[in-house]
Amino acid sequence: MRLPLFRTVFALIIINKAGGLIYNRTLHEGGLNKISTNDYLVLAGTFHGVHAITARLNPIKPPRAQRTSTSSTGAMVRPDPPSGLEVLESENFRMQCFTTLTGIKFLLFTDTTQTNIDLIMKRIYDMYTDYVMKNPFYQLEMPVRCDMFDRKLSSYIREINNR
Amino acid sequence: MVVYSFYIFDRHTECIYYKSWVPPAQFHEDSTAANASRSANAAANDAKLIFGTVFSLRNMVRKLGGDDDAFVSYRTAHYKLHYYETASNLRLVMLTDTATLSMRNVLHQIYINLWVEYVVKNPLSPVEHKGGRGVRNELFELGLDQFIRGLA
Repeated sequence: MRLPLFRTVFALIIINKAGGLIYNRTLHEGGLNKISTNDYLVLAGTFHGVHAITARLNPIKPPRAQRTSTSSTGAMVRPDPPSGLEVLESENFRMQCFTTLTGIKFLLFTDTTQTNIDLIMKRIYDMYTDYVMKNPFYQLEMPVRCDMFDRKLSSYIREINNR
Repeated sequence: MVVYSFYIFDRHTECIYYKSWVPPAQFHEDSTAANASRSANAAANDAKLIFGTVFSLRNMVRKLGGDDDAFVSYRTAHYKLHYYETASNLRLVMLTDTATLSMRNVLHQIYINLWVEYVVKNPLSPVEHKGGRGVRNELFELGLDQFIRGLA
């Protein structure tokens, strides 16, 4: 029997700046299809490439003259950096992608009706900085294996899914 | 609501129709002929990139959400892409501004009211639209332009 899908966070994936999968966690059974770890790795790599392409596909290209102009104060004014895919919607789920300034991507899969995803994403990023980045044994760009992060993430998501 | 561009891809993954409602990007001052061919080239390259993107995302969505799931749209900070696929693997893609809500029904209407009426039911139109043959007819172009302008 399928559980009622009401405001649920399904899964979290973290992709490093090279497109490698470094964290992959199912937070609610039955939301997404079960796929093998190998498929998750392929998915992470594919998404990394697609994300780069979506940033280039902007239909309103800024005119060349404005690309780097100097404002009246003499400071260089740069246009907004290109942004890749942020939200993907399908019939069964919704995926939010958050890219940090260092290029790490957090993909959060939720139900299509889930609200406040920005807030949830921020909390998850806070946890990542607290329990992964501050872990002295964590090596950058390597798979995340931190007990504290796992536990804190589980309890936070359980709180949301049971609301 | 602003519509930037619209693409149709056939089941052989070829872009058979393309229309843009954005003035083409200004290149350096050179002859207009070179300019035109350059922007046509850029549009063709964009179409290939868009197809690659929607194809990958569609496969990803079907892998995660099951075979009955369908990719609907994605949004970046600058634009939103809407996708609609018919049972015969005809793919309609539309790029709009980020504030636009779902355009799935609009793409569906384009398929029913314009594609089927003016391209499929046209006795002079070929079955396979290689190189976009039979798509760019007057009624379809006019109907599409009016429909899109009427949305705003």
